[in-house]
Formats: sequence, C-alpha cells, structure tokens
Amino acid sequence: MVSVCFYFQVHQPNRLREYSIFDIGNNSDYFDEKKNEEIMKKVAGKCYLPTNNLMLSLIEKYKGKFRINYSISGTAIEQFEKYAPEVLESFKKLNKTGCVEFLNETYHHSLAFIYSKEEFRKQVKMHRKKIKELFGQEPDVFRNTELILNNELAREAEKMGFRSILGEGADHILKGRSPNFVYKPKTSQKIKLLLKNYKLSDDIAFRFSNKGWKEYPLTAEKYAQWISSINGNGNVVNLFMDYETFGEHQWEDTGIFKFMRKLPEEILKHPDNEFVNISEIIKKYEPVGELDIHSFVSWADIERDLSAWMGNKLQESSLNELYRIEKYIKATKDKKLIEEWRKMTTSDHFYYMCTKWFNDGDVHKYFNPYDSPYNGFITFTNILNDMVLRIKEIIPEIKNQDNEKNMLNINDNPSEKLKNIEI
Amino acid sequence: MKIFMLGWEFPPFFAGGVGVVCYQLSKYLSKRGIEVNFVMPSGPKEAESDFVNLIIANNLVSDKNIHIKKIDSLLMPYITSEGYLNLLKNKLMFKDFGSTGEIYGENLFAEIERFKEKLLIIGKNMEFDVIHAHDWVTFPAAVALKEATGKPLIVHIHITEFDKTGGVHADPGVYRIEKTGMDKADVIIAISNFIKNRLTDKYYVDPAKIKVIHNAAEIPEKDYKTSHKINENDKVVLFVGRITLQKGPDYFVEAAKKIVEKEPNVKFVMTGSGDMFPQIINKVAELGLTNKFIFPGFLNREQVFRLYSMADVFIMPSVSEPFGLVPLEAMASKTPAIISKQSGVSEIVGHVIKVDFWDVNDIAAKTLAILKYQTLNNELKKHGSMEVKMLNWDIPAQKCIELYNQLVYH
Repeated sequence: MVSVCFYFQVHQPNRLREYSIFDIGNNSDYFDEKKNEEIMKKVAGKCYLPTNNLMLSLIEKYKGKFRINYSISGTAIEQFEKYAPEVLESFKKLNKTGCVEFLNETYHHSLAFIYSKEEFRKQVKMHRKKIKELFGQEPDVFRNTELILNNELAREAEKMGFRSILGEGADHILKGRSPNFVYKPKTSQKIKLLLKNYKLSDDIAFRFSNKGWKEYPLTAEKYAQWISSINGNGNVVNLFMDYETFGEHQWEDTGIFKFMRKLPEEILKHPDNEFVNISEIIKKYEPVGELDIHSFVSWADIERDLSAWMGNKLQESSLNELYRIEKYIKATKDKKLIEEWRKMTTSDHFYYMCTKWFNDGDVHKYFNPYDSPYNGFITFTNILNDMVLRIKEIIPEIKNQDNEKNMLNINDNPSEKLKNIEI
Repeated sequence: MKIFMLGWEFPPFFAGGVGVVCYQLSKYLSKRGIEVNFVMPSGPKEAESDFVNLIIANNLVSDKNIHIKKIDSLLMPYITSEGYLNLLKNKLMFKDFGSTGEIYGENLFAEIERFKEKLLIIGKNMEFDVIHAHDWVTFPAAVALKEATGKPLIVHIHITEFDKTGGVHADPGVYRIEKTGMDKADVIIAISNFIKNRLTDKYYVDPAKIKVIHNAAEIPEKDYKTSHKINENDKVVLFVGRITLQKGPDYFVEAAKKIVEKEPNVKFVMTGSGDMFPQIINKVAELGLTNKFIFPGFLNREQVFRLYSMADVFIMPSVSEPFGLVPLEAMASKTPAIISKQSGVSEIVGHVIKVDFWDVNDIAAKTLAILKYQTLNNELKKHGSMEVKMLNWDIPAQKCIELYNQLVYH
C-alpha cells in the first residue's frame, strides 16, 4: 500500500516599505500595503483561486478518494481577509468536503522556536485558534516554518499535544533509509515524524518546467508510475510543496494544472495507491525506526539547513536584536506595537538578507522585494530602531545601552520595576 | 590564433584608462596562447613588451611615405586641439602631460588619418586572424585594414562621445567615425550594459551585434592601513574623481548636508579637481558646510589608497559612468561603497549599496546606515573586498577568445 500525502504550504509575508533612517521617530508606518495587496491579488488570480477550484473539482470527482492537506500561515490568512476574501471562502468550501486537513504552524511563519520558546508557543496557539475559528479543525499535526526541525522541537511539539510533525527527508538525517516510512524523532515519546520525499516533491515544485531535465516533459502517467513503484518498499509518499507552485512558480502555460488534473486518476489506477489526510497516517502506521535530528534541518536550498535565514551576520544580528527587544515590546502592552513586532518575526525578512547568491541565489532573487540583501537589512534595522523609540515613549524608565555593541540603543537588563511586569 | 590589436596607448607608454584595459587584456590573452600584435601610432624607439608584439607605427613607417588624403572638411570646424587636449587630459589619469602634443600631433584627425595609412602598410605584411580595435580613434585604420584584408573586425567600446558630455550631445565628426566603426564591425564589444544601451539608443546598433564583456580589475594588494585620523571623533566620507558634471560632485555635497543634520561628526573629503571645482566650493560655503569639507587636490595613487583606508564610507554619485574603476579600489581597501546605479561597475558588483545619483535623500540615508550599523559596515567591508579579488582579467580574456573563435571558425 502506498499512501500519497500531499501537503501544500500557503504563505505570504507582510512586506516592508522602504523605511529610511530619516523615518525613524517621524513615522511608524512600516508595511508596504500597496505591494502586499498587489501581490496577494496577483497570486490569488494566478494560483490560489484556480488551484482551489481544481482541488475542489478533483475531490468531488473522486468522491472522497482524493484527499489533501494544507498549512496556511496566519499572515497569509490576514491578507486573504484584507485583500482577497474570496480565497478564504474557497478554502472554507474545500474544508466542507471533509477531505482536507489543516495543519498548525506559527501564526507569523517565524523562527521563534530558535530564539524564544515563549513566543513560539504563543504563535502556535494564535494559529491554532485562527484555524479553529475558520475551519472548525483542531490540528493534530504540526509543521514548523520552512520545515525547520530538530529533536528538541519535536519533543516540544509532543509536549504541546501534537501527534505528528513534518520534516525534510534530508539525506543526512535519513542516512540511507527511505523517507517513505513513518519515523520517531530521538528523545520524543511517540510523536510521528513524516519526512518529505524531496526527490518526488521537487520533481513537481522545481523541475516540472525545466527543459534541461532528462525527465522533461513530466506526465501524470510517468509520475504515477514512480509513485506506484514504491509499493513493497514504503508506506507513505510525502509530497510537500509550496502551494504557489501551481500557477505562480510554475506558470499555467507549463501545463502544471493539466498535470495535476490528470494525476489522481493515474495514481488511483493502481489498486494499492491511495490519497490520505495526515491523521489517517497517524492511525494507520507506526514508526519503523528512530531518527536523530541533532542539528536543525529545513527544506530550503541545497544545504537544507538554517543558512538561508541565519547564514550571515546581517541576518544573525537582525534576529538577535529583534528578539532582544521582545521583553520590552511585550511590557508595553501596546497591542498594535506587539502585533507589528510579530509581523517582523516572519522568516521572509531574513531570507531577503541572504547573501548566498551564486547557487541558490536565483531562487532568493526571485522572491526578493529588495535589490540587495543590504537594503533588506537597512530597512529592517531602521524599523527596529523606531520600535525602540516607541518602547521608550511608553516605558520611559528603560535605560539606553551601556556601550555601543548593539545596533539598538536599549539596555539588555530590564530595571527592577520592569522585571515584575508579566510579559 | 593571431590578433591584430589596435590601440592608442599601452602602459608604460601613455597609460590612460583604456591603455590599462589593453595591457591587461593582451597579457591574459597571451597567457592563454593567443598571439597579440599590438599596434599604436607612436611611442619610444625602444618600446617593447613581454607578452605582446608591440608595434609603434611611427617607428616603422615614416611620415615621408604617407600621403594623407585631404581630410573631409566637414570634420574640421568642430574640432579644436584645445578641446581634445582637455579630453585627453581627462582620459590620461596617471600621466604627465608634457608629451601629449608629441603623441597626438597638431590635429587629432590628421593623426588618425596618418595612422590609418601607416597601418595599411604594416598590416599588409603581417599574418593575423582577427582585427580588434579599441575606441574610436583607431576605427578608421581598423576599418581600412578590414577592407584591405577581408579579416573580421571587432570594435571595443570603452566610452562614447555622449558619455564625455554627460549624455546630451556628441561632436558630429567623432560621432561619424564611431558610427562607421560600429557599422563596419562584425562584432562590437561593450564594456557594460550601460554602454550597450548607449550604442542601441544613440548609434542605432542592432543589439544582437553587441557582446557585453565587463572589464575586470586587478588592484595591487598593499596594506595602506593607517592609524591617521582627521580627528578622533569624526567619521570620514570620501569622494574620489574629477570634479566634473559626469561624476556628480554636487549630489555628494547635497547628501552631505542631509548627513550632518543627523550626524554632525562627519568630515567629507573630495579629491581631484575639475571644471566644477569653483561651483562646488561655493555650494559647500552656501550650505554652511565649509568646516565639514576637505579638498586635498590632486593626489597620487598611494595617497588615494591611504584615503580609502581612512574613510568610513566611499560614495560615487556619478551621473554617467561607462564603467567606473574607483569603487573597486575602495572595496579592495575594505571601505564600504555607495555607488550610482547609472554605472557599468554596478552591473558586476553586489556587495555595495546602489543608489540613484539624483536621490540625495537615499544617498544620505544609506551613508548614515553604514555609519550607524556596525554589522552592515563589517559585512560590506568583508564581502566587498572578497568580491573584488574575484574580478580577474582572465574572465574577459576568455570571453574575447570565444568571440575570436566564433568569428574565425564559424
């Protein structure tokens, strides 16, 4: 039996406007709403709406035999609400079919787990609440931003009550084993780890329209054969990809929609193949072994590590400074400021500062609103500086830093009074 | 593969910017087994080079053998030798001007014509596969040689007449020579997309005929690190280049005004001189910045490199810059650079801050960011200096060889 598990990631960040050093202290208008709206409407038209329609028609056609899974970031949901409410409606319609499962992630698609467990838990809860409100589902499955995962994160997810967690099927954690089984991360009790089959996933997400690829053109028949050949040496095929693959990364004229329309039929031709929601996998399969994910693994770039977001000093220092002011941001109890700070935690802001230009760089460039990582850094840091001024306005007793080692002029040690504020 | 290369200068003889390119390119071509015969109109009798066959036309063929055709009278009225001397002065950055008259003769156009005649005599007795000519002064000779021998012609454009005048107008005589060279060439090499756009916009050249081959830079690795400071608390922001319209010195001053409003402890250093110098001094005074500015005048290379290492930020706000070598020198000296997007060099470097030359707010804001955010400063230094090290002349040389092969074998 091969259980085919499609999980699509839906995400849009809140892009920042060009916020200059002269804006600090003069205005606190950080987000480029015009660009966010423009991109949301464009992607809704090219990807979200047509792909949702396609998925809906496939679900209806195969009467429960075609099932899929989504994770939609909170920042994307908010932008749907603001700029493309019809997309949210179409997700609700998909939800009603009973064939769609929604996963839980950090609301702001953040790297919070690495920097602040407290903020991480908060963002997971926020997202959970939002998914329940919208779809009535209470996810059993957790996926962290960009499939970032290690042993400790899996254990944390388990403690929070999740029964399954997703990860990248990177060679260095599988060490020769197959991604097509359920595993258990070392140091966890029983949480089930599903690993992305990166070869088959990337065949669709990255290579589909690549004319230089030896399998080009990829047909549904051929792909279904690859899936069927797993029978006998695997239980699940985890096809994890960005939802924007359909119509946005791979344009309609590449034939991606036609491929997807045909795929369920071809896969279901083999009697031992099926499509599943992740909770069915949890019920059906037990871990075949334990994997040690000692250091962080992700689904990004050839390295499949954290270097796309934390690989250089620009990224490191922006992240450090962002989380250094967390306690003060929360102490202000200013809801607007706290929410704006959270929007700054979205991983994309750090991805834009990546300087690995020459291999994976092409992908980075395509998704980058800035013409250079340096400009991404400058804008981000200017905004943090303005946030520091806002903090000091609300809590004047906060001291300036003792020396100039950090980019933000704020002391690391909260005063006695502040220590008692619950944050 | 034998190349007949035409230039007007070759280091150490009359080393201008284009001369440096000819020198480096020939050196790397010869390293890759290409035989380069480099012909230029004049030079000392004992002139020779390690890696090219350096041919001085005047030394081989005396003027007595040359009958100069009557020069097209249309060319004459627009040209004054004084104008050309100024132009040449600008081009010949590192040299002493005493000998210019000797090289170029009384009238540049007559010299161009004389070079053409001599070249035909030399060229007919030589074996070569491709003619490769640098900048407009060699074009008439190169075209004549192509017509006489049927060999393929590459013209290499480093600057156009429009770039010398800020992009507005061109001397019609020079334009005609440039245009004829481009039209008769089999392939045109442009040193940047910036130049390529000029050629398509102003000379109506078919873009398919143009191949962009960026210059490289080899900057001697010397440690000019200096502990010297202008004074303890002041940061230094630097401008290096001629003080002329093309280099955008006025935008530098306007940005300075905005910078000191936020950060008073900054000194601005502007090297060089040029026809806008009095205007710039006035502007600095008008804006009340006199005590913030230092004008050290014309400096030698070592002094300039010392300045780079003293500076916290280097700015090149050029209005029009076909290539632009100076930012690479700053980067090699580990000085964060802010450069105009309207420059050829901005096409090949990433570890700099790129701005529109007219956006003085942005120039000021980015300068302040570099001064304020140490991480940014460090990263620009580190990656910028590494990036410049990779700009090896072997890369353009290989691209030229590819072109030669295409022309000769296809």
